[in-house]
Amino acid sequence: MTAHRSWIPALALAAFLALAPAGFPADASELRVGYSSDAVTLDPANHRSRVTEGIILNMYDALLARTDDMRVVPELAESWSQINPTTYEFKLRRGVRFHSGDEMTADDVKYTYDRLTKPNAMGGQTSPRQSLVGPLKDTEIVDKYTVRFVLREPWPIFTAYVPFNQIVSKSFTEKVGTPAMATQANGTGPFKLVEWRRGDAVILERFAVYYGGSPDLPPVGPARVDRVIFKIIPETASRVAALLAGEVDIIDELPHHAIKQLQANPRTKVLATNGTRSFFMPLNNTRPPFNDKRVRQAANHAVDRKLVIDRILSGLAVPLDGIISPQSYGFNANLKNYDYSTDKAKRLLAEAGHPNGIDVTLDVDNPFKDQAEALAQMLTRAGIRTKVQIWERTAMADLWKNPQTNGRDMTFQSWGDGALDPVGIFVPVLRTKDRGNYSGYGNPEVDKLLDAANTETDTAKRSAMYQQAQAIVNDEAPLIFLWLPQDVYGASARLKGWQPSPRGVIKLHEAAVD
Amino acid sequence: MSEAVPALSGAKGIDWALAESPIAGNLRQFVRDGAALAATATVAAFVLLALLAPLVAPHDPAEGDLLRRLQPPAWMSGGEWAYPLGCDALGRDVLSRMIYGTRVSILVGVLVIFFAAVIGTLAGLAAGYLRGPVDIVISRLVDILLGFPYLIFAIGLMAMMGPGLSNIVLALAYKEWVLPCRVVRAETLAARETEYVEAARALGASRVHIMLREILPNILSPVLVVATFRMAHVIIVEASLSFLGLGVQPPTASWGSMVADGRQFLLEAWWVSTFPGLAILALVLAINVASQGLRDAFDPRLQS
Amino acid sequence: MTPLKLAERILQLVPVLLGIAVIAFVMMALTPGDPVEIMLGDARSTPEQRDALRHDMGLDRPPLERFFVFLGNALSGDFGLSFFHRRPVMDVILERVPATVELTLAALFIALATAIPLGVLAAVRRNGWLDRAATIGSLLGVSLPGFWFGILLIMLFAVHLQVLPVSGRIGFGQEVPPVTRLLLIDSLIAGRLDSFAAALRHLIMPALTLGLAMGAILMRVTRTAMVEALAQDYIVFAEAKGLSRARILGRHALKNALIPTVTVAAIETGSLLGGNMIVETVFGWPGLGRLVVEAIFARNYPLVQAAVLLYAATYVMLNFAADLLYTALNPRVRL
Repeated sequence: MTAHRSWIPALALAAFLALAPAGFPADASELRVGYSSDAVTLDPANHRSRVTEGIILNMYDALLARTDDMRVVPELAESWSQINPTTYEFKLRRGVRFHSGDEMTADDVKYTYDRLTKPNAMGGQTSPRQSLVGPLKDTEIVDKYTVRFVLREPWPIFTAYVPFNQIVSKSFTEKVGTPAMATQANGTGPFKLVEWRRGDAVILERFAVYYGGSPDLPPVGPARVDRVIFKIIPETASRVAALLAGEVDIIDELPHHAIKQLQANPRTKVLATNGTRSFFMPLNNTRPPFNDKRVRQAANHAVDRKLVIDRILSGLAVPLDGIISPQSYGFNANLKNYDYSTDKAKRLLAEAGHPNGIDVTLDVDNPFKDQAEALAQMLTRAGIRTKVQIWERTAMADLWKNPQTNGRDMTFQSWGDGALDPVGIFVPVLRTKDRGNYSGYGNPEVDKLLDAANTETDTAKRSAMYQQAQAIVNDEAPLIFLWLPQDVYGASARLKGWQPSPRGVIKLHEAAVD
Repeated sequence: MSEAVPALSGAKGIDWALAESPIAGNLRQFVRDGAALAATATVAAFVLLALLAPLVAPHDPAEGDLLRRLQPPAWMSGGEWAYPLGCDALGRDVLSRMIYGTRVSILVGVLVIFFAAVIGTLAGLAAGYLRGPVDIVISRLVDILLGFPYLIFAIGLMAMMGPGLSNIVLALAYKEWVLPCRVVRAETLAARETEYVEAARALGASRVHIMLREILPNILSPVLVVATFRMAHVIIVEASLSFLGLGVQPPTASWGSMVADGRQFLLEAWWVSTFPGLAILALVLAINVASQGLRDAFDPRLQS
Repeated sequence: MTPLKLAERILQLVPVLLGIAVIAFVMMALTPGDPVEIMLGDARSTPEQRDALRHDMGLDRPPLERFFVFLGNALSGDFGLSFFHRRPVMDVILERVPATVELTLAALFIALATAIPLGVLAAVRRNGWLDRAATIGSLLGVSLPGFWFGILLIMLFAVHLQVLPVSGRIGFGQEVPPVTRLLLIDSLIAGRLDSFAAALRHLIMPALTLGLAMGAILMRVTRTAMVEALAQDYIVFAEAKGLSRARILGRHALKNALIPTVTVAAIETGSLLGGNMIVETVFGWPGLGRLVVEAIFARNYPLVQAAVLLYAATYVMLNFAADLLYTALNPRVRL
């Protein structure tokens, strides 16, 4: 252990310097968030983690933002326009300051996007967020406040992904280097970094000269609390306890069974928002018994989605007949509903040649054990005798990468799509051999529709293609369609002005505490 | 082994004289220790419960009704005597699940300790008696496994082998054998210099015979003590694996997995995890008191 | 201890660490799961991008080559980059070490402070009510799953009584300049009693959860050793000489009885350092154990490798320290 001694003074000094400027009036308003996991980095371009983004968003703004009803609106950009199918022009807001005091200009925007796009642009590494900019070829500076994005091919959803890419300062990043960007922050967001106590807390303070944020996301102006602390509390029961003890004002991933208790307590409340993560059970379409459409339809009739939603999810979910959120672009509202009917399920099974039922195994990872066991009991009652097998998440993902060869029957999965566009969920889950296609489903007709929609620039036509694909999939039932749960947060009664965002991130610009 | 027997009648006599009479005395003392006896009876009762689970349990431990989700115990408002200890998150009877869980918890404890004791004893005997390269290899292996943090090793193995009861037993036994091995090696080192071993060697007994027939009976009691003491630990580690999501497979429940899964409801449905927690406490307490009784009775240095 | 003996001990360390490195590597290599897929999750990715990430992580090379590259770099002190943090693994690990060390030392302190007096009293009044009570108490300590006991403590002291915080190490505004990075000590160095109190309040529940289990083991060791010491000829002789009871206990019996306690404590501290991930999770304690478990689940190979080696080296050193202590306390033993 002695070998580390030399390292201690250096870090001690760095930490001391980081701490030194922290001086607040005693009556400063402080908002604490009980957060389930720590950020892996503070570099906006060097991660692919939604919880990390949730923290970073409080320090870094992007060119565009999303409203709670998921419209894309200007943030650091003043306006944008599409010049031709492969070129977008963005006018930047003037006078926006980074926390360091430098003004944000087109230079910084180009630098940010180059860092995301170019191979090895991050100190020899490639940004893991590269695919979030799509076929972006180059970023051109028109003048100090105007940039143009040039794509290799048309990509109609380019602007839907712009809110995911936060703008960094060119001069700061070049000065400190990519490794230091992991632990330091210099954004244009409503809060600036005070200290990151790894594994423990991220402490932020109000950025006094914040430009105010998107005019479409009121209130415009500096943040309303002086200080924000993300406290890392990974254990769910402890996180709920911290809220009940008054130690934190918001907790994420509130378990459904705690809802009633928080609602009954005058000092706490429950906040919910429409989620963007759909749940479903992929059936292995490549081998018996689920290579038979009738057996798959039987499975859909066998589960009482309403009962599970009522009893386990506290009613905070909408049942789905597909996998796309009702709020998503291209959602088909006229899909056939598989009503809960053990009789229909048994009849379909018998038609498929299984009058005595079938025996199958359901693979699930530990956090969803309850839901899976409840569903398995329902399936069993309808003659699909289901044994539940629990896996560690990563091992299960590996197992289901190749349904064609894995010899498994069905699994419990979900897919999140923050952009609310079929391209982010329907394509990966249902296109032949795409990366989230756990069911092994493949239908050339569906593939053709999806590929055509990918480059179709007429929104109405594109939407019609997706709706047609949904109707086909609904009938063929490669999955058991389940539900779209709301994201549920616990909050203290003193929290004001904050609503959870469907994006699943906690941005505290508008939050206040009494 | 049998080929060496004819020459050994004399040595065998020594063996009997040394091993048999103290054990009888030990047993007498053990029986006199009331607490230890009561504890042993408790352990026996749990074993019986495990064996008779299907006859004793009021409900099917796997069958639940979501309408009874988190129903409180009978004596609380909302409870009913059909489900005396309440229901879990899927509306399954907590009592029935605990009764069946006895099987899993005891099975894991007994199997892990059995494998660990057998492997550890054989390895320890070989290392301590044969010395030389065998000792070096076994001792280094022991050092390596001791240096590997217990839970991290178990988590790593579970991740590698995948879920399931048999893999839990393996993951724990892979490391657990190290402790009996160390004890046996030390005892064997001492035993190989004793007169009766010298005598057996002089009579031309094979090494296998000396290890298994001369030394082993004389060092069994410390192994027994270490093994029972560790069983408590194994049951706790199994609970820890459940806490980390690497526990037994449904619909089976172990006490550990019931405590681990139920902990999230501690605020609003304390009964789901508290009763199995108390069961663990009772069994571990009983095993420990019994093992301490064994230790007091069998460890000659502690006899007053 | 002669320099030769010391050198021998250090040489023995080499095969042990090498063996641990091999086991950890093989274990991770045989575990299903792809770190690249884990990192990218559900959101958009292209095959080219996955290849680039795989290259960044060094996963495009065959396992055997990866192992020797790791070994070669490790010898020069370079343990590679953590896959997800994308920073040097040792930086990520060492940031978490102080919290784990502080928690372990506090647990050790609680364990010794309860185990030694109780163990001695239990031995002196053998089979009395105190002995029985202490035995049962110590058994409670080893039979409670830490996560369950920890959550119960939180319910009681943080939610109902609201006297202790649920999680973390210290509040905002109570930071002290890091010297040892153990907050209890640093706050005393800085002369900040408020910080000391805050750190103590955060530390007490997790340390108690860990310390009770350890204290249970140490109490039994102390009791056994004390019973044994009291039966020795010289104690009986001292009693016959008419020395006072307290003097006999303090000067003679206790001194001998402490030898096994201290030795076991040193070894237990080693396993405690590597075994507190569950308590760290429950109390949101920013220690190493939690980080390593997350790394195993995320297939963050470099971090798991480096942390396991660090644990092992610490464990071996602590055993070594236990041996030294044993010699120091017991002049009859020469290593």
